[in-house]
Amino acid sequence: MKINNTEKKATNRRKFLKLGLMSSVTVVAGTSIFSNLRSEEEKEKTITGEKVRLLTPEGKIVEVYEENINKYPEALITPIESKIGIPNRKFVMVIDLAKCKNARKCVERCQVAHKLDKHQEFIKIQLISNNEEGQPYWFPKPCFHCDEPPCVTVCPTGATFKRDDGIVLIDNTRCIGCKFCITSCPYSARQFNWGHEDKFDDKSQPYSPETGIPAAEGTVMKCDFCPDLLRQGELPHCAKSCPMGVIYFGDKNEDIVTNGEETVRFSQLINDRGGYRHLEHLGTKPNVYYLPAVNRQFPLERGFDIEEDIKERYKDVPYVQELKKQGKI
Amino acid sequence: MDVITRKKTLVKEFSPMLEKNSSLFRLWIGALVAIILVGLYAFVLQVINGHEITGMRDNVVWGIYIINFIFFVGISYSGAFIAGILHFFETPWKNSVLRIVEITTILSIIVGPIFILLCIGRLDRLHYLFIYPRIQSPITWDIIAILTDIIGCFIYLYLTFIPDLAILRDSKELKVPEWRKKLYTFLAIGYQDTPTQRKRLHKIIKTMSAMIIAMAIVAYTVLAWIFSLTLQPGWNSSIFAPYFIIAGLYSGVGVIIIAMYLIRKIFKLEKHIKKSHFIGAGIFLLVLALLFGYFTFSEYFARWFSHKTTDNQLLDTMFNNYFWEFIFANYIGVIIPIIILFFKKLRTIKLITFAAVIAVLGLWLNRYLIVVPTLETPYLPIQDTRPEFIYYTATWIEWALSFAGIAAFFLFFTLLIKFIPIIPMSGIIEQEFASRNKKDKIAENQE
Amino acid sequence: MERYLKKYTLITSFIAAILFCNHAVAQENEADNYKMAFSFRTEKNNDNARVLEANFIGRNKNDKKDILPIFGAEIKFFNILNDDEVLLGTSKTTNKGIAQLIIPENHNYLIDPEGNINLIARFEATEYIEEESEEIIVKNLHLELIFTEVDSVKTVLIKAFTLDSLGIETPAEEVDFIVFIKTMLSKMPIIEGTIENGEFEFEFPADFPGDKNGDLTVSAQVEDHDEYASVTQEKTVNWGVFSKEIKKGKNTLWSAVAPIWMYTVLTIMLVGVWANYLYTIVHLFKIKKEGDQLKQTDES
Repeated sequence: MKINNTEKKATNRRKFLKLGLMSSVTVVAGTSIFSNLRSEEEKEKTITGEKVRLLTPEGKIVEVYEENINKYPEALITPIESKIGIPNRKFVMVIDLAKCKNARKCVERCQVAHKLDKHQEFIKIQLISNNEEGQPYWFPKPCFHCDEPPCVTVCPTGATFKRDDGIVLIDNTRCIGCKFCITSCPYSARQFNWGHEDKFDDKSQPYSPETGIPAAEGTVMKCDFCPDLLRQGELPHCAKSCPMGVIYFGDKNEDIVTNGEETVRFSQLINDRGGYRHLEHLGTKPNVYYLPAVNRQFPLERGFDIEEDIKERYKDVPYVQELKKQGKI
Repeated sequence: MDVITRKKTLVKEFSPMLEKNSSLFRLWIGALVAIILVGLYAFVLQVINGHEITGMRDNVVWGIYIINFIFFVGISYSGAFIAGILHFFETPWKNSVLRIVEITTILSIIVGPIFILLCIGRLDRLHYLFIYPRIQSPITWDIIAILTDIIGCFIYLYLTFIPDLAILRDSKELKVPEWRKKLYTFLAIGYQDTPTQRKRLHKIIKTMSAMIIAMAIVAYTVLAWIFSLTLQPGWNSSIFAPYFIIAGLYSGVGVIIIAMYLIRKIFKLEKHIKKSHFIGAGIFLLVLALLFGYFTFSEYFARWFSHKTTDNQLLDTMFNNYFWEFIFANYIGVIIPIIILFFKKLRTIKLITFAAVIAVLGLWLNRYLIVVPTLETPYLPIQDTRPEFIYYTATWIEWALSFAGIAAFFLFFTLLIKFIPIIPMSGIIEQEFASRNKKDKIAENQE
Repeated sequence: MERYLKKYTLITSFIAAILFCNHAVAQENEADNYKMAFSFRTEKNNDNARVLEANFIGRNKNDKKDILPIFGAEIKFFNILNDDEVLLGTSKTTNKGIAQLIIPENHNYLIDPEGNINLIARFEATEYIEEESEEIIVKNLHLELIFTEVDSVKTVLIKAFTLDSLGIETPAEEVDFIVFIKTMLSKMPIIEGTIENGEFEFEFPADFPGDKNGDLTVSAQVEDHDEYASVTQEKTVNWGVFSKEIKKGKNTLWSAVAPIWMYTVLTIMLVGVWANYLYTIVHLFKIKKEGDQLKQTDES
């Protein structure tokens, strides 16, 4: 109820704001360098909520949905272009397990950006360990965008495809919902829209495989490496929102990855820190690399400052049971 | 002249099956239709609400729909295989069981694919499979294989129907509605049983039977590949294709024995379906049970012995959550039929049928254990709090549709028996003449 | 605990918002609760255009965490010399509270004899928000990047100088700078240093891939210098070692087009089976033909 009310009000204001935005856009259009510099500070403010509060010169506070201020440049991408990808790029992600403390900001930001429900997570944080003796560690798991993607191989209609820039996407207007890709993905990266949801009817944003919005009933979806942001020269939502700088992202051709704060050579990072790919022996050739969880910056318990039902997810991990016994969690 | 009178007596013998509609029969049809209607209602609900009302979720994305699909398609392929073998090698006792086998084949290949359709999220986009096909996908292979197989089976079934349709067309005494007579005439395509026609028909039936054996093997192999070409621990196995073929044959022979038993009982066909048929089928079932047991053992033994982590996890799931199912599917479902069929004294019609029932049920469960526990044990542990995302349980929608599928199988079977005699009349005549000729020849030789 | 607090504040602010809506007629000034912060900076871009940027936000007096950008405020930018005040342009703040104005390279600023440009950004008071204004004095610094390659040793020379009205260069002193390589998503710092006597020279690392043509965009940046404010200069040089071939048109299991052998096998199998079907159907027609002929002879 509450939400409905605010939404209505927001739409009225939105209309008013749109006019204002249009006029200011023309002025801003010329520069992007400054806003790039700024984005570091700005993101802090807009990180969690879907709404942005603003003060007008008339002394009024208005609330607008952040998305409404977006200009959706991805809508300008033709469907054909969205299947080819960004030219001469080869995207790669590096996840530094030593820095992850299950802050879940990546999950939350991704959910907001992709309009996902509470339990729908394109990036999942799992708690796994390498062996029985080893302490488990937090393991953020997006789609690995494999170079030999089994999901793409088995798709009977070409609804899921691999682009020249290495990104594996789903065209949900082509997907017939056979779920074969889900069973063939060894990393459980894919999700299915089991029932109808109201958000699927929101056609205000034109559908593009690059955003996956709006999702559609009876089709598959997954992490997409946010190509809409990449086209604007921005990091994917998860990398941008991580407070620990766990997620590095970049172009393998340039051999440079960044987590928003520091920029490093990809090859150097992998070589110096012993980077590896999860389940390498399966031969899927993922484009997500992990830096091992050595010299961890946070004790595992720090990751349990989360909602109760998310905490429950890890109850079967033996180490967690031990921690519970000791009363540490 | 002799042949014509024999035809008449045969038509007379089978005419009660074709003409009469007893009240029990009506009740039977009514019950089947009712079950199908419930299934249709469930289907409508599923279309309206989406797959949310099934028990399938992100980890176990395939449930009993897929299991029914491979089960039915397996029966069909094994039927085709057996029919092909019987025809191709001109087995002497084939006649009495041949039509049962053929009808089982064609009906299960019709019912089976319906289940795969139920599993598809966007039925409205089904035609995309043909507009945007990807040759690399095993699903595409499967669709091509199934479609080709359905058409082949239809042609084959029709070929074997032609002589009987001609006999029925020519029997003026048969009390059936006018439209059925017209249909007989149309479908008999002017077959007059002349030597050239007969020779021609025999020739094409023989080539088609060979074709159908090959296709059954290819098609069921492709179906097995849907599982074994993935990277999933429980599926990625090189023996899956032959394993599936043996398993399909095992369940198919089981279903045929059950059908033989029921038809023999209901239509009192003791004269045609004899104990020797049951024993023949029973021994075949015994061989298949041994083979199936051997494959099952090889499959699980290798997993257990080499104990890769993922295989171990799968076996853990199997023995922790599916203990009794595993025991029934892979021990009881194999050993009981072997015991019954191994000892000569136990080979009675009833016990053979019982063994077949055990085999069929065990095999369905075996399919369940191939599909569900594997999906419940992915490489990365399922860390979720929603029980329906961790474990799969079929909802009433899925059960209703499963039973509707079985009911549809029975309904079509019953209607087909109403349309054409379940024992091929032309075959009986042929057999009699063949044996008479043999006798004559022997007599001649003796003289 | 923290989460509950957050939830609580959300609800209260929501209630507050409703209250304010009801009192909208009374024109209550919500801005009263906020302390305004107005900042002004300038940066000279690589195309030598100058960006003027004003940042206008309000900080809640009671809740320091509550920071609101001022949206749609009109900011005027002036160039002044003594008593002359020239309006350079007007811009409205965005939803981030930022107003920008870009002055092209060839603009004739009012410059004092020391070469200083005096710039002012001003927000004129509304009924609700007071006037804000800030002044910057900046000298026009020229940065130049010169690339030389001798015996495969790649050197970069950075020159920094100011020009007087006669066009004579004066080398800049004590200017801290950073050199970056610009990449798709970020900038990779390769060296930091201080320009003395108007120059700085360094050897360029050899192994950057660059883009597909081997082009690298090198960017030198001076940030918030007391005299020169921010200045960037960038230049593209073909020093990259990009060697990754871009695979195209290869038929794989996952590409749009399948390997040829798959088509071949499938075609052979399908043709084989369907030829058989056709053969069967042809024979069926022959049977039918014979039947029809028999019928005709019977009738006649």
